[in-house]
Amino acid sequence: MAAADLRAELDSLVLQLLWDLEELESKRAALNARVEEGWLSLSKARYAMGAKSVGPLQYASRMEPQVCVCTNEAQNGLQKFRVLRSGSQIPEEVGPCEAALRRRKGLTRIPEPEPFSASPNPLNWFGILVPHSLRQAQASFQEGLQLAVDMASLQIQINWGQSQLRGLQEKLKQLGLGAA
Amino acid sequence: MLGSAELSFNVDHGYLEGLVRGCKAGLLTQQDYLNLVQCETLEDLKVHLQTTDYGNFLADQTNPLTVSKIDMEMRKKLCGEFEYFRNHSLEPLSTFFTYMTCGYMIDNVVLLLSGALQKKSVRDLLGRCHPLGRFSEMEAVNIAETPSDLFHAVLVETPLAPFFQDCMSENTLDELNIEVLRNKLYKSYLEAFHNFCKDHGDVTAEVMCPILEFEADRRAFIITLNSFGTELSRDAREALYPTCGRLGPEGLRLLAQAEDFEQMKRVADHYEVYKPLLEAVGDGSAGKSLEDVFYEQEVKMNVLAFSRQFHCGVFYAYTKLREQEMRNVVWIAECISQRHRTKINSYIPIL
Repeated sequence: MAAADLRAELDSLVLQLLWDLEELESKRAALNARVEEGWLSLSKARYAMGAKSVGPLQYASRMEPQVCVCTNEAQNGLQKFRVLRSGSQIPEEVGPCEAALRRRKGLTRIPEPEPFSASPNPLNWFGILVPHSLRQAQASFQEGLQLAVDMASLQIQINWGQSQLRGLQEKLKQLGLGAA
Repeated sequence: MLGSAELSFNVDHGYLEGLVRGCKAGLLTQQDYLNLVQCETLEDLKVHLQTTDYGNFLADQTNPLTVSKIDMEMRKKLCGEFEYFRNHSLEPLSTFFTYMTCGYMIDNVVLLLSGALQKKSVRDLLGRCHPLGRFSEMEAVNIAETPSDLFHAVLVETPLAPFFQDCMSENTLDELNIEVLRNKLYKSYLEAFHNFCKDHGDVTAEVMCPILEFEADRRAFIITLNSFGTELSRDAREALYPTCGRLGPEGLRLLAQAEDFEQMKRVADHYEVYKPLLEAVGDGSAGKSLEDVFYEQEVKMNVLAFSRQFHCGVFYAYTKLREQEMRNVVWIAECISQRHRTKINSYIPIL
C-alpha cells in the first residue's frame, strides 16, 4: 500500500533527522570546548610571553587567508562545505590541468609547473621560539574550524530533512483524506 | 672591604631602600588573591582592588573594563614608582637602574622591528612599548633594514650600543633573524649585567649574581624547549644561550644537543637546583608548564633578596615581584572574563 510505504519512508527520515540532530549537538559541544581551550591557551601564552607579545600588533591588518571554504553539490542536490588549505589543489582540478600541459608540449616551451610554495605559518608572526601554549591554541582553533564547517553541512542536511518530512506528512494526510 | 656595605650604603641609598621595602609591603597577599578569585565580573575585581594598595587606579577608565586596560594601569603604577626611585638615585644605583631598563629596551626594539615587518603604524607601536624601556631614538627604529643600519642610525647613543657586537652578522631583518637578534642582545645584556654586579662586589653581588645566573639558565632551557620542531639549528640555538649561568659550557653544550623534553630533563639531572624543577613539570596541558615552574623559583629567589639589607638587589627583586603580581591579576581577570574558572588558581602567590 502506498500509505505503508510512505509511513516507512517517514520513519526512516525521522530516524535520520534525529541522528543528524544528535551529531550536530555533539559537534556544537566540541566546537565550544575547542574555542574555549583556544582562548585559554592564548591567555597562557600571554602569561608566558608578556601581554603585548600576543595581540593585534603582531599581525597585519590585511592578511591572505590560509584556509578557504568551498561548496560543491552532492548527488541529492544538497550543498556540502569543505575546508581548503591555500596552495593545495582540489582533486577534481588536477586532471584537466595536466591535459592542457600535454597539448602545449609540441608547440611551445613546456611551462614549468608552479613550485608548491609553502604558505607561511601564522605562528611565526609571534616569533620563532613560541611557547607550547600558543601552538596548542593554533591546533584548537584549527580543529574548531573543521568542526564549524561540518556543522554547516549538517545544518543544511537537517533543513533539507525537515522539508522532506513536511512534504511526506502532507502526502500522507492527502492519502488519508482520499481513502476516507 | 668586609662590612663596608653596612657602613656606607645608607648614606646614598638608605631612603630609597626604606621606600622600596614599604612598597614591597603593599604587594597583594594570599587573602587578597582569595578575594579576587571569587569575583564574578571585572567590575567586582576593580572593587576588590580598591581595598588594596592599588586604590582607585581604575577610576579614570571608562566602561567597559577590559583586561588590557587593567594591565595598562597596573604597569603605569609600577612605572611611576620605578621612575621615582630612579630619579632619586645616586651612583652606583643609577647605573644599576639603567641596566634594569635595558631588558625592556630590547623588548621595545624587537616590537618596533616586527611591527615594521607587519606594516604597522609607528604611533600604534610606540603606544604599546614598555614605558620603562623608552629611549629617545625609538621612532627611527622602523626605518632600519639591517642590524648595522639599526646600530649606526639609531642605537649608537643608547645603553644598548655595547650589546650589538655579536649581532651584526644578520643580513636582513625577517622573522627568524629578529628572534635571533632579540636573543643575542639579551644574552649580551645579561652577561654585562652579571659582570657589573660581580664587580660591584659586596652584598649586591651575593644577592644579584645567583638571581642573574638563574635567569641565564632559565633562558637556555626555555629557548631549547621552544626550538623543538622549528627551523632553528642546534648551532644557532647554542649561540643564543647566555654563558653566565650555572650550566657552564659543558651543560650548555649538552643542552644544545637535546632533541626532546626527556633529553633536556637528563641534562637538568646533573644540577641539583634544576633537577626538582624539571621534574615538577606536568604532562600536556593538565599540570604546570616549564615557564610556571621557573616563575615560581624566580619568586622564591626574589622574596629571599629582601632578607638581606644594604644592597641594590631589593630594587630588582621588587620590580620582578610586581611584574609577577601583574601577571597573576591579569590571569585571574582573563579567567573571569572568559568564564573559564577551572585554572583560575594557577597564579603564584608572593606573600
